[in-house]
Parts: sequence; C-alpha cells; structure tokens
Amino acid sequence: MANEAAAHDHHDDHKPAFWTRWLCSTNHKDIGTLYLATSMIAAIVGGLMSWYLRLELAEPGIQFIDDFQFYNVLVTAHGFVMVFFVVMPAMIGGFGNWFVPLMIGAPDMAFPRMNNISFWLLAAGLILLIMSALIGDGPGTGWTVYPPLSSSDFHPGPSVDFGILALHVAGASSILGAINLIVTIFNMRAPGMTIHRMPLFVWAILITAILLLLALPVLAGALTMLLTDRNFGTAFFNPAEGGDPILWQHLFWFFGHPEVYIIILPAFGIISQVISTFSRKPIFGYLGMAYAMSAIGVVGFVVWAHHMYTVGLSVDTRAYFTAATMVIAVPTGIKIFSWLATMWGGSIKLEVPMLYALAFIFLFVVGGVTGITLANASADLVMHDTYYVVAHFHYVMGLAAILGMFSGFYYWIGKMSGRQYPQALSKLQFWVFIIGVNILFFPQHFSGLAGMPRRIPDYPDAYAGWNYLSSVGALITAVGTILFFVVLWKTLRSGEKVADNQWGEGATTLEWTVASPAPFHTFEDSPDMTGKAPAE
Amino acid sequence: MLKRLFALIPAGVLGLFASVANADTVMRSKPWQLWLQDPKSPSAEAVYDLNVYLLVIEVVIVLFVLALMCYILLRFNEKANPVPSKTTHNTLLEVVWTAVPILILVVIAVPSLKALYLADHTTDAEMTLKVTGNQWYWSYTYPDHDEIEFDSIIIEEEDLKEGQPRLLSVDNPVYLPVGTNVRLLLSSNDVIHNWAVPSLAIKLDTMPGRTNETWVSINEPGDYYGMCSELCGVNHGFMPIHIKALPKEEFAKWVAKAKVEFASNDNAPKSTTVRLAKADVATR
Amino acid sequence: MSKRVQKNGRFAFILFALVGGMIGLSFASVPLYRLFCQVTGYGGTPQIQAEAEPPSVSERVIKVQFDANTNPKLPWRFKPLQREVTVKLGEEALVFFEAENLSDKSTMGRATFNVTPYKVGLYFNKVDCFCFDEQVLKAGQVVPMPVQFFVDPEIFDDPTTKEVKTITLSYTFFQAEDETVSDNVTDRSTEVEVSLRAVARDVVNTF
Repeated sequence: MANEAAAHDHHDDHKPAFWTRWLCSTNHKDIGTLYLATSMIAAIVGGLMSWYLRLELAEPGIQFIDDFQFYNVLVTAHGFVMVFFVVMPAMIGGFGNWFVPLMIGAPDMAFPRMNNISFWLLAAGLILLIMSALIGDGPGTGWTVYPPLSSSDFHPGPSVDFGILALHVAGASSILGAINLIVTIFNMRAPGMTIHRMPLFVWAILITAILLLLALPVLAGALTMLLTDRNFGTAFFNPAEGGDPILWQHLFWFFGHPEVYIIILPAFGIISQVISTFSRKPIFGYLGMAYAMSAIGVVGFVVWAHHMYTVGLSVDTRAYFTAATMVIAVPTGIKIFSWLATMWGGSIKLEVPMLYALAFIFLFVVGGVTGITLANASADLVMHDTYYVVAHFHYVMGLAAILGMFSGFYYWIGKMSGRQYPQALSKLQFWVFIIGVNILFFPQHFSGLAGMPRRIPDYPDAYAGWNYLSSVGALITAVGTILFFVVLWKTLRSGEKVADNQWGEGATTLEWTVASPAPFHTFEDSPDMTGKAPAE
Repeated sequence: MLKRLFALIPAGVLGLFASVANADTVMRSKPWQLWLQDPKSPSAEAVYDLNVYLLVIEVVIVLFVLALMCYILLRFNEKANPVPSKTTHNTLLEVVWTAVPILILVVIAVPSLKALYLADHTTDAEMTLKVTGNQWYWSYTYPDHDEIEFDSIIIEEEDLKEGQPRLLSVDNPVYLPVGTNVRLLLSSNDVIHNWAVPSLAIKLDTMPGRTNETWVSINEPGDYYGMCSELCGVNHGFMPIHIKALPKEEFAKWVAKAKVEFASNDNAPKSTTVRLAKADVATR
Repeated sequence: MSKRVQKNGRFAFILFALVGGMIGLSFASVPLYRLFCQVTGYGGTPQIQAEAEPPSVSERVIKVQFDANTNPKLPWRFKPLQREVTVKLGEEALVFFEAENLSDKSTMGRATFNVTPYKVGLYFNKVDCFCFDEQVLKAGQVVPMPVQFFVDPEIFDDPTTKEVKTITLSYTFFQAEDETVSDNVTDRSTEVEVSLRAVARDVVNTF
C-alpha cells in the first residue's frame, strides 16, 4: 500500500526536462508560476516608471524630465504596464491558473496548450509595449489613447501602432485565457461540486473571465479602427472626414469600465478565501456574495459614460449614468458587510495574509466612497481630470487590488513553494508598504480638490506641499516593494517547510488537501465531493 | 443646516491659510489647500454644496466601517474568542444592509440630479464668448463685440512680473463682465482640450469639428484661474486659463480698448505657426 | 475523442463565436452611433429634411446665432454673414456664410456642424445647406454659402427645450483629403449661384 502510494507520488511529481517544462508547458501550476514571475518583472518596470514620475513631481519646476513627450510616454506606459501586465497576469493568469483547477478538483485546465499560448502572448505583448516606448517618440497619449491626439496627425511614426499591436496581443492572451477558464469551471468540476458549492475565488474568476470575453473584443475592435485610421486612410475618429472622436471614447470606455471590475473581482475572491480561513468561519451569505459579484459584473457594462461626463453629453444621459453608477454601490456594500459579518463571531488570527485582507477592506471602502463623489455628474464637474480621480483609482486599484495580490501571495506561497515566508520580515513589509501607499495617495485627494490637473509634469507652486508629501510616500512604497522581493527571496531560499494545510481548520478548500508544494499533477482522479458539506 | 455647519470646517481650515483679503478676489489654489476653491458662480455654489454634503455622508460611512472593524478585531481575535461561531446567515441583516445603502443612494441622488438639471438650465445669455483650444494655448473671440479675437499664451517663467503666479499667467487674459450670463462656445483647432475654471465650476471638453456650449455668471470681480484638463500633447500642462472679471462699466471700457488692440485678423493662421514653432522644442 | 474533450471543444467554439460577435458589434457601432444621433438629435445633430413640408408657422419666435470655424490646415476665411436672425417657429429661414480661399491653389473643403444647446437638435431642421457636399474653391475665390432651415414649433411643447431662447448653429470647415483639385473642376460658384436663385425663388413663392 505504502509502495503504491510512493509510486503514485513519484508519478505525480514527474516533471519534463527544463526547456520543455518552461517553454512548452501544459501544466497549470507551471504556467501560473510563469505568469506570477512575469507580473513581478512588470511590477518593477511599472514601479520604476511611477517612481521616476514622482521624483519629477516632488518639487515645482522641472528637475529631471525636461522632455515632456517622454513624460507623457511614462504616464502612458505606467498605466498600461500596471493594468495589463501586473494585476491581470498575477490574478487571473497567476492565481487563477494555479488555484482554479485545484479548488474544483480538476487535473488541469480544459485546454492546456492554449493556456501556454496565452502566457507567451502576454510575454510578447509586454515586449511590444516596452518597444513602443523606445521606438520613435513613444505614445504620449495616456492609457486612454484618445484620438485625435493618438491619430497619425498628432502622433506620427510607429509608436502608437506598436502600442496598439501590444494591446491586441495582450488582449488575445486574455481572451484565450478567459475561454479556458470558463470551460474549465463549467465542465470540469469534481462530481458533487455544484456551481453553488464552488469556492468564492472560483466564482470571482468565472465572472472575471466572462467580463473579459465580452469587453476585450470591443477594445480590439476600437484599436483596429484606430490602426486603420492611422495607416489605411479610414476615418472612424477623424472629424475632417466625417468621423467622431467621441465614438472612440464610447468604445474604449465600454471596454474600460468592465476592465476595472476585471481588476478587482479576483481580489474580492481572494479576500473571501483569506477572511474565511483566518476567522475560522465559512463566508457569511455565500449566495449573496456570489450574486453580488455577478451583479457588479452585469451592471458594470452599462455605466461606461461616467468617464465621459465632460465631453458634452446631454443632461438626461448624464443623469442616467449617475444613477446607474451609484447602483453598483449596493452589491459592493453587500460584500463589505458580508466580510465583516464573516469575521463577527469568528476566531481571528492576524497572520500576514489576514493583515492584507483587513487593509484591503478598509482601503477599498475609502476608494469606493470617493467613487461616489465622482459618480455624480454634477459633483464630478470640478473633479474630472484632476488628481482626485488619480487618488480614487489608485486607492481601488493601486491599493486594494495590489493588497489583494499580496494577500493571495502570502496565503498561497506555502502551497506553491512548500516554504513559509519569514514572519517578522513579512509583517514589516506589510506595515512599510501600507504606510507608504497611504502617504503616497491620500494627499492627492487634496491637490485634486484644489484643482491640480492630471498628466502634467509641472504644477503651479500652490500644489507643492501635497506633491512633496506624495513623493515621500512613493519613496516609502519603493522600500516596501524592495522588502517584498527580499521576503520572496528568503522564502524560496530558506523558508521553513510547511505542512499540506498550514492554516488549519479555517482552510477548507481543496488545494489544502494536496501536498505542499503541490505535486506536478494533482487530482488525476477527481475527488468525490457528493455529500460533502455545501460551501454555504 | 448640518450641511452649512460642515461647510464651515473646510472654510475654516482654508481661512487659516488665507492671505490678507485683497480688494479683488483671486481664485486659484492656496498652498496645502484641503478643499475645493471657493465657488464664485451660481453653478459653482450648487456643486460646492453638493460636494460638502457628499463628504459628510462618505466620512460617516468610512468611520462606521472603521469602527466596526476595530470592534471586531478587539472582540473576536483568537485570544478573546477561541471558538468561532458557525453563523452564516441572517436574513434580516442581509435585507437591512441592502435596503439602507439603497436609501443612502436615493438621498444622494435627489439633490445631485437637481444640481445637474439646474446647471443645464440655459438662462438667456447677454453675450457670447467663443473659446478655441490649440496646441498649446487658448484663443478667445467675442462675436457680439465686433469679433474681438486674440490668443492667450502662457507667460514663461523668466518673463513673469511681480505677483504673477507661475504656470497660471498669460499674456492676454480673457475679460468678462460680472453678474452677466455669458454663453460659452467651446471648440478646438486640433486635438481635444478641456477649458476648466474650478472656482466657476466650468469644465468642458473642446473638440475639433464640434462646438460645445455652457454658460457662466461670475459673482464678483477678480482673477479666476484654471488649467487645460485633457491631455493634449507635450505642453498640456502649460496652457492656463486666466479670466479677469470686471464690473459692467469697466468691461465696456475694456471692450472699447480691445477693439483697437485686437482688430479682427480675419482668421489668418499667423499666430498658430508662431506657437507651433515654439512647441516643437519639447522644453518650455 | 473523449466525451469531456468533445464537450469542452463545443463550449469553446460557442465562446469564440461570442468573441466574434462582440467584435462585430463594435464595428456595427459605427453606423449605429451615427443613426442614433440622427434619430434622437443627441449631440446637437440637426434633422436633415431635404424635402420637408415645414409645419405651420407659429407666432412665437426664437433667436438663431451663427458660428463658423476653420481648421488651420484649410487656408480659407469662413464667416457667417449675419450674427443672428430671429425667426418664427416653423418659418423657413435662409442665411448665408461666406468662404474665401486665401491661398494660391484650388482647395477642397468639407464642413461638419452641430447645434447648441444639444437638446434642440431634434427640433432644428436643415432643408438645404452646403455641408452636404465637398466645396471646391479656386485660388482667391469668394463664395456665399446658403443654409435653409426651420425650427420645429414642437420645441416649445417639450419641457426640456421650452426654456431655450437662443440656438447656435456652428460649422467647422476642414480640408478634404483629396487635395489634387484641378482647375477643370466645375465652377462651384456658378452652381452655388444657381442653387441660390432656386432657393430665393422658393422663399419668394412661400410668402
């Protein structure tokens, strides 16, 4: 019996040779690792860009970046890198690939080879994006790429075209990944694991994948139109030839708004797992949570024009989008309260993943309420295109989503690597990072309220105070980021070995029933989940 | 009432930093400013009040969540509560925390939509100001005053005079009469720009091939500043807006002077070529 | 192929089709968007009524002001010949703009237009205007450009538009891409003169 088990383990752990394993992977865990590694590299690239920007903005006047096209290129690249090459790959490609099959008891994803293509398309996209910044003058359009600024009249040369290509490639990567995840989740759950029994992280990834499927093609269409406008004489967005720049904005934001839910939903999923584990209680109101996420996904498709309140939309249109945008606060509130209710009556252990999850909840609420101000077209009038907007989206994306990623990292690194993170250093990393990002972004609310516009390399002297403080925060955040990489290094090199279920009775999902590190092949035979306690 | 009370807090804080009041209002950000610039037009007052109202609600929500979290951490950490409960449902609670946010949103939406429709109400304007965005400066035309037309270009740092704020000063400010409904027509000669003056609650995109319209009525004489608010290329940060609001009689005197100084130049693109040449050099 | 693989394959096919559908929809948005603006008047899109029967003329009046823009690439001077007109609702009005080619070669221009405030788009009816075609001006040529329109009396029945007292009609002339204009092109000014006479005749006949 023992021999059989040993032989079975050996078979489970049989890995291909190095180059085959890492270049031609068809293993969801390895591909997940590749995504996480790429995300970390991109985080350094995107982070360096933002620290350089903050270095320039620390004091009034121009000290370091006197080429303002380059400044605009940095702003553009920072946005694209963070959204498309840090958060999305880490959450969906990284944690999604690693843990969705494990959580549903599937041996791998539905299409393992397409999974590999998805990853390598992403890597190609990142390289193309970096090239777009280095070739020609670079795309200085902001991540929103509005024509006519992005048209060939005002951005001649290949830069914007390279950027468009990069986004097409990254978009294809995500669409293929989304198809893979949807088919896997619907078709490959272990027997007995009904849709209403799968973990909330899987729900989150499923809804995210559906949003990707429906929103990314619209971006692809719009990008193609911009490409043909720039190179093949079409006039979708050129008013001189009968086109309309506002059409771009509608198409872009029809994608752009679901995109921000794509960014945050996986974090919601991670937080549900972490809160439940470290309160040693099942999530309160499982069904409410699942359907709140679905509602957020659906409503997220009909609110896009709140990004366009100042283009000159009719007053009825603005009124509708104000109301619809505020509706999203309801399911979001349900989630926040459900997390709090999960902790209520629980037995809370303040491990590092839980620290991050708690910070997530509070800081997401802060970011969310500034969103309420921005949702109102009348109030937004003085906030649009100011640093108040920058503060808002960094709180919900740069703080909350990133905190969700850190929470997932600390929660699952033991399962992925078999080693535990160093406790004291990780707690230090948490505090330094949290303090850093708050000092970085909170003052931006004030400079925005006072009227400082976005995307400018220098500002009137009155904004100096908050900008200096914000740049100090950026420095502290940089230290916190470096500390993270130290934590990563120490964990992988000399971390303590962990048990299969290092978190105890609170960790009830299937990944905790396999060894740590998870064997190369898991659940070759599906676990029988019939009759097991329902997730709710 | 509560709203008025809370409005005093940011105003009070602002008061701490305000310099000695001048005879004329100067509306731009002050150092370490915590809140919006003071409203100086009817729309701006509505927007300002709405924002104070929203701030109160939002602060209450954040503090409420914070308080709950602190209580939870104190009362239910593993030392204080070693045995977790198994409660995962409470229908009443779930109904309450769905219904109450809906109520809060309605309470927000009603004044918000009122303010929105109020700002849209086009009172009849006594004059029109035409604003055209260019890379990287604004052009102003007065179609009701003999087509006075001029460009408003940023004053470079080395040319600033005493008292002129850096990055906000222009060679030709736009003059408008106080207490007058002014129709604003906004368009662009190249890319999308945005004409924004925070203290007057004006912010509207200027687009090529399209004319946007809004209106403003400035409450008191003074200097009102703003900055371009839509990324428009390398000098996006260097095309400020400076409105000088004058009492009606003084505005009429200015019009007479301006008709001579800015004799209509028939739309010739002379100033455009000058500016483009400057902007080709990426540095300011 | 195992059943599971077949099932997965079929599902993936459906999802790919969905992706294709969304791309198709985004391209369909181009004509749909234009249609939507035309039908609803959103964005200040005036109604085009080439052969409309204007509704009965009301005694109420409204002011219409005119605005003209020229894109810097086009070397023309383009201005309205009147700052404003006061018209009765339902009454057809004829106004003129003037364009002058300031350069020394023939150039072709194309105009875009909208009315403000945007909400009156549904009630502003253009019967005839120069914006429907490209205009060619020879070097130094000056051409009057007519616009015939009426404002629908229903504007005062609509609660959102009844407070509007002034409408602005704004044109922007751009350089049309096909720059190679030879001087063999039909003399546009004669055409304009002819259509002007026809319009003048119509106006005279109406009253």
